[in-house]
Amino acid sequence: MSISRAIPLVRPIAPRRHLRPVESLPRPKAVRQARVSVITQSRISVAKRIVYGLIAIWILNLIVSAFCNTAIYSISSLKDQTKELATKTQILQQQVDSLRSPQNLANSAKSLGMVVNANSVFLKISTGKVLGAAIPASASDSGVVSANLIANAALISKSNPTNTSSTKMNIPVTEKTNQSVKKSNSGYTEVVLPSSGIPASPTH
Amino acid sequence: MYNDLNARRQKVFSAIVIFALLLFGVRLFFFQVVDAAEINKESESSMLVNRSVKAVRGEILDSAGNVLASTVITWDVNIDPVNVGPVVLDIDGQKISFTKEQAAEKLAGILRISTESILEKMTGEGRYANLKKSVSASTYNTIRELDIPWVYFDARQSRHYSYGAVAGNLIGFVGSDGSALAGLERTMNSCLAGSDGRESYVQGADLIKIPSSIQTLVPVKDGGDVVLTINADLQYAAQQEMAATVRRLKADWASAIVIEVKTGRILAAAEAPSVDPNRPGAVAERNRHSRIFQTAFEPGSILKPIAAATAVDVGKATPTTQVVAPDRLKMPWGQYINDSENHPPFKLTLTGVLKNSSNTGLVQIAGKVDSATRYDYMRKFGMGEKTGVNFEGESSGILTDYKGWDRMTDKVVMFGQGVSLTPIQTAMIYQAIANKGVRLSPVLVEGCQEKNNLVKTAVPAPVRVISEDTAVQTMDMLEKVVELGPIGKTARIYGYRVGGKTGTAQIAEGSGYGRLHAVSFVGIAPVEDPQFVVAVTAYKSRTVSNSLGATPGFVKVMKQVLRTYKVPPSTTKSKKLPTEWK
Repeated sequence: MSISRAIPLVRPIAPRRHLRPVESLPRPKAVRQARVSVITQSRISVAKRIVYGLIAIWILNLIVSAFCNTAIYSISSLKDQTKELATKTQILQQQVDSLRSPQNLANSAKSLGMVVNANSVFLKISTGKVLGAAIPASASDSGVVSANLIANAALISKSNPTNTSSTKMNIPVTEKTNQSVKKSNSGYTEVVLPSSGIPASPTH
Repeated sequence: MYNDLNARRQKVFSAIVIFALLLFGVRLFFFQVVDAAEINKESESSMLVNRSVKAVRGEILDSAGNVLASTVITWDVNIDPVNVGPVVLDIDGQKISFTKEQAAEKLAGILRISTESILEKMTGEGRYANLKKSVSASTYNTIRELDIPWVYFDARQSRHYSYGAVAGNLIGFVGSDGSALAGLERTMNSCLAGSDGRESYVQGADLIKIPSSIQTLVPVKDGGDVVLTINADLQYAAQQEMAATVRRLKADWASAIVIEVKTGRILAAAEAPSVDPNRPGAVAERNRHSRIFQTAFEPGSILKPIAAATAVDVGKATPTTQVVAPDRLKMPWGQYINDSENHPPFKLTLTGVLKNSSNTGLVQIAGKVDSATRYDYMRKFGMGEKTGVNFEGESSGILTDYKGWDRMTDKVVMFGQGVSLTPIQTAMIYQAIANKGVRLSPVLVEGCQEKNNLVKTAVPAPVRVISEDTAVQTMDMLEKVVELGPIGKTARIYGYRVGGKTGTAQIAEGSGYGRLHAVSFVGIAPVEDPQFVVAVTAYKSRTVSNSLGATPGFVKVMKQVLRTYKVPPSTTKSKKLPTEWK
């Protein structure tokens, strides 16, 4: 009995999906079938992954698109708000421009009966000398502010200096009108004069 | 058995794939061929927009940074006639029904136009009718809050001049389409305009711009700001005074120029009447330009200091040179030169000649200088050429070559006849005298500012006209005009040493002179350290026919200048100079 006879002639049916020890060289067809099976399984797995990936990308795209759409409308809404605020700013700026225009100021000064003091007096810091004569302003020497004569179509707001409720300044009221100068000044910040030079402003 | 199962699965899978592909193919065929027209129509609603982006025009600022001209958004108010109908308006929180007639009335009240004109525009089959162009932001907001469905708006850029007619003749104006039409708006257009850009973007069906789709094709470049040397407050004060002068004198117009002596900067160039650039159409065409730079006329006696300074500079005279000045001086060829008034012969010095503004005295002294030399000096003082201020339409005045002067013109040019000057040329002659004999070019535009970088205006080189000594002597003579002159003394300013000269010029009409005059006064202060020149002119004064019409305006403007720039009063006295001799 040769060695070859000791090997059974019929190949036992291998249990599915189980590896078995190689007892002899398998027949080529069987090998091919096994290979096809493994490759098919692998391909199906890859295809599944691609499909799942595509679905995931599609869902992600939907989510991003939804966010983008929301953002676009938010941006558009914010831009509209910006425009509206810019319009309001423009209205306010034009009101400020009107109120600070020389035409409005001249009319306000005129209505308040203000007088230009043409006699400026200068104090020379280095010598303490006073230059010029301190002559009080007078309405009689044509120093009264003249009413505005210069056209301004952009004048959309005008001051109303006679309306005391809007122009009244919040000045601390002293208890008695005949108080001494010293007492009435007590509420203000004292200006400390340095040894030389101009005193520093108490404002911050 | 196992292999059969796999093979079957493969076949099923392949069949599904093939079926899906077929399905996609069929669908694609429908998209591309069958439904193509409908899809294309849908796609139009989300089309690619390619549009121009307007550059924002720059601002015009005064020397302190006050904005004299700026760009704002205004709105055209339009209606859609096809959809006009009754509306429910929200008035103070209450919903009120309005007929279209009532809505028109409401709109008319806000827009300040007639209800009839709105009702007329409401009829028709069109989709567009403009009710009013360029309404302000507040008007736009008021109408928008009404929420009328058939009213819509078109935004546009417009110019806004918050100081109105202050410096209006200098600033100029733009047209309704934004094109620069006059003044610095036009002269400095290359700085102000900038350049438009271009962009494209995808727009949704609901007109929403898709942010990620915006592409800048050509970047927009906003305009730069023009910075002026003008002090707006001083300009206003001077204009107020000139407006009052025009009223008082019933003159055609009046002007006041303030020059900083040591720099040539124009601090004010005021005119009355002046144009409000917000509404240029509100004034006559003749009042929409700047006479200070564009109108030349015979200056009259205001020019006498040139002849006097020339005689001194060439050594033919001194401030004390003596002359007998009759009221009428017969020329060798038989014609006469007259003084403005009859008087006995005066024994005057050259200083006295200027003080009395004597034509006969000046002709005798300054006439010692030959014509060619006098002509050269006149040229050096800037006559007959543009000042270099670079203002559109600037006149160079008229100074014909001395070779073309006849015998009489040769004499009368010494007292300001036969030549013509603009007010700015006259002011710069005095600037040269005050600046120790060196004439500067006037500066109106400091420069063009782009992104905080000021590119300064190129200025022509200074010109030495007369020697420093001659300039000082001329200043001394001018001071005597104000100190002692019959009209000049009305130009005194308490506390300050002031020098100046009067001028009452005849105005050429046809082949002769008319009845009315151009009265003027040009003054310098303070004499000991000249800092400012103020030149005031009133043209065709009808109530005062001499410089008494101009000196009150000069005093007020000069006082304002000295106050504004905190010039302390003079501490020295004038030089003693005789004006007469015995």
